[in-house]
Amino acid sequence: MVSITAKNVALVYRVRKKISLSWPDSRIKKDTNKVAVSGRNLQVEALKDVSFSLTAGDRLGLVGRNGAGKSTLLKVLYGVYPPTSGQVEINGHVDALFNISLGFRKEATGRRNILLRGLINGWQKHEIEERMDSIIEFSELGEFIDLPLKAYSQGMAARLAFSIATSLEPEILLMDEWIGAGDPAFQKKARERMGNIAQKAGIIVLASHNRALITSTCNKVLELDSGRVKRLVDVQEWEE
Amino acid sequence: MRRVWFALATEDIGDQHRRTTIGPAWLLFNYLAFAGVFIFVFQRGAGIPSYETYIAVGLFVWLYMSDVISGSISLFVREEGLIKGTKLPLSVYVMRMVSQSVIRATYAFLGCALILMMSGAVPSSAWILSALALLLIVVIAPAVIILFAFLGAFFPDSQFIVTNLMRIGMFITPVFWAPGTGDSIRHVIYAWNPFTYFLEIVRLPILTGEFPLFAFVFCSVVGVLCWIFALVILGSFGKKVVFYL
Repeated sequence: MVSITAKNVALVYRVRKKISLSWPDSRIKKDTNKVAVSGRNLQVEALKDVSFSLTAGDRLGLVGRNGAGKSTLLKVLYGVYPPTSGQVEINGHVDALFNISLGFRKEATGRRNILLRGLINGWQKHEIEERMDSIIEFSELGEFIDLPLKAYSQGMAARLAFSIATSLEPEILLMDEWIGAGDPAFQKKARERMGNIAQKAGIIVLASHNRALITSTCNKVLELDSGRVKRLVDVQEWEE
Repeated sequence: MRRVWFALATEDIGDQHRRTTIGPAWLLFNYLAFAGVFIFVFQRGAGIPSYETYIAVGLFVWLYMSDVISGSISLFVREEGLIKGTKLPLSVYVMRMVSQSVIRATYAFLGCALILMMSGAVPSSAWILSALALLLIVVIAPAVIILFAFLGAFFPDSQFIVTNLMRIGMFITPVFWAPGTGDSIRHVIYAWNPFTYFLEIVRLPILTGEFPLFAFVFCSVVGVLCWIFALVILGSFGKKVVFYL
């Protein structure tokens, strides 16, 4: 049974100020509720006291202003950032769609990039081979698939990235922003595929600024403000 | 995981030479050009016997070690995108670097073999010791990469220090000069520079047929210590790297 439980998750990390020859800016506040300054170090409190639990079928929308901690929370759930305190318990295989062009090599062919990206995602080679044809077909790249990525337009590269990233069938899917890949016709196809994935995946956590998207995809909404949970409500309540 | 780092490493080598006509063979020419300068321009001033062999082997080992150290100091910084965007363990990046450096060294190795052949060096059973010594160096490489990669990630200034030291290192390591006798400064540098021993465990068996026991023991002990430190640091700071990039 897939589930995600976060208990009092906090994440504090240190950022070292660069040495600069320019005059220090006196307008910079020493301490705010997110940043504390000590010497050359800035302590950033990215998340504080975040708790929630999700079970199979849940679609959680993460909302909040830029810098509220949405992407950070996704990365904590994915296991990239270990929480400073609190606990995250996850049952099920987690896949993530953060940066769709991550790991792409512009000198390699589209076909080779599918393999590389698949390996980076942790897929077995035979799994990638099995998905290869359907990925190519979905990307609508045709003969371009055997040309180096640098010959692609931005839209074509995005289509390929999207096709690879969404060829998986995840138990738990973490997504940072929706992916607006390609022309309107491809976007329609992309929306349909995302809808299918959303139905198949056990749990989805989606960070987005797109209100309509959250409303149509999610059943719960977690609003973050300065790394803290402002509210965790059903999507109907959030809409009101 | 093996597939991931090997695929990435081969892609890296290909990328570096993708638009060239002879591709990675440039690595071979680079080595031969280096060796050629030392052999023909620097001459055998110090009276080193079998100077071509001395240079060919010494340069090959030095370039490998220098490649590994200079590349690993900025390893985690270069891999920031993948470290922050995937769950791949840090060992993937370390092994990517190891295989990349071994692939690059293979081209230099061909050049080294070519010079040995042309200089009339006769293979003997002692060459097996040199092969074992090379293996020892490659086995230590991942530990060294881990140590320098963490150093570069946690102390960014060290990238400049190490890069500069490695540039100077070529001249204070007996790659193209011999220690001489007595208390000359060269003799002191020869004895106190740890890289000397890594060069000599490969070079001496080929040059003289003798087994440099002390150098072998020294390199093995350094290797074990590097691995212990590397594993401790990986265990203690592995999860923190992501915050320092």
